[in-house]
Amino acid sequence: MARLVNRLVMVVVLLFVQVLVLNHVWLLNVATPLLYVYFAITFPRNTPKGEVLAWCFFFGLIIDTFSNTPGLAAGTLTLIGMIQTYLLELFVPRDSAENLETSAATLGWGKFSTLSGILTLIYCLVFFILEAFNFFDWQLWLLRAVCSAALTLLMMLAIESVRSK
Amino acid sequence: MRNLLDFLKEYYHWLLFVFLEVVSGFLLFQFNNYQGSVWFSSANSAMGKIYEWSSGVTKFLTLSEVNEQLTRRNLMLEQQVEMLGRRYTQLTHDSTTMERNEMKFLSQYELIPAKVIDNPLNSKENLMTIDKGSADGVAVDMGVACGNGVVGVVYLVSRHYSVVIPVLNATSSRISCAIRNRGSFGYLHWYGGDPSVAYVEDVPRHAKFKLGEWVVTSGFSSIFPSGVSVGKIEQAYNSRDGLSYKLMIRLSTDFTNLRDVVVISDKSIAERAALLQAARDSISKK
Repeated sequence: MARLVNRLVMVVVLLFVQVLVLNHVWLLNVATPLLYVYFAITFPRNTPKGEVLAWCFFFGLIIDTFSNTPGLAAGTLTLIGMIQTYLLELFVPRDSAENLETSAATLGWGKFSTLSGILTLIYCLVFFILEAFNFFDWQLWLLRAVCSAALTLLMMLAIESVRSK
Repeated sequence: MRNLLDFLKEYYHWLLFVFLEVVSGFLLFQFNNYQGSVWFSSANSAMGKIYEWSSGVTKFLTLSEVNEQLTRRNLMLEQQVEMLGRRYTQLTHDSTTMERNEMKFLSQYELIPAKVIDNPLNSKENLMTIDKGSADGVAVDMGVACGNGVVGVVYLVSRHYSVVIPVLNATSSRISCAIRNRGSFGYLHWYGGDPSVAYVEDVPRHAKFKLGEWVVTSGFSSIFPSGVSVGKIEQAYNSRDGLSYKLMIRLSTDFTNLRDVVVISDKSIAERAALLQAARDSISKK
């Protein structure tokens, strides 16, 4: 129950931050932080996979509705949810709890940054390739994806450092 | 049968994954053309309301800058009116016709003032939302302008909100424009990137112009009256096929700081459309 409330609060906060502030950020004409990936990265270990997928899809759809990009964030976030459930297993320490929280406090900073770095980068690469579907300019695509991923990761680690205290 | 059920139990998330991705793909390719997507876009009034609140706050914060810009623009226009008036009286020795013409010109175009409530600039297919809809008299294909020049064309209308295709939409925006006082015309096109630079394409080879001259709307379509500012010519290139010029222009509208716009609702559009239809019908009968 507490987890459900936690998730819902996260949905509302991330949605508003993304839609009202971050969508308007366009640093140096390339980087837009996509902080809502944080939602998909922080599912606890062994959450039923179907549940993760459903959460990611609907949260992505809400983000899409607000940013006029139907299906873009929904599809990409669902992909990240799928990868997260498998990738997380490689990072959990031995003998840890079955329902271990995914955070810097439980995984350690190095592992958490690597995990979220990989997922954020995949997210940005897929997101921008789908967005730029019609005009393919691979240099711009790579630049936008990498810069956005770096910016997003930075913000995520900042949030983690506040939460882990 | 049991094996099948076990299999489904074990791997149902893969099926769900594929299903959700197919749905997303469908949405992505079906609705991203924005036809009939009122429900999934910011023309949806719940989304519109929230954007309106947020833009209310930002509007308040940038008020002083907008004020300053308006005052400057006002001053410039006042000077221009005075200069033109003086010149006109000099040429015709009649000071009342000017006023009459002006009233006639304005009565043709009804203006609906509106506020921009969402204006993202970070993709190549930007769409803008404004806070006036069909209830206020806005209809599809009306022109939108601001104090500094053209903004775009209304694309989708709900009761209280409308979605506008701004000049800064690389795939869909094509506005017919002309070089001021010269008459050669072309089409305005934006390629993404810098929101203050766009290109005018298909300008004929025999056109004469100088760098720094103004490009304005041509008035060939019924969307914009002729003479609304678009931008200043910065550079001229040959088109790829060498048959025409391509002009790089600096847009006079500052899209990064756009709050107040007007929708131009031209009363003669319906009349022109009806006339055109009548002409087509009479030709097809023959």
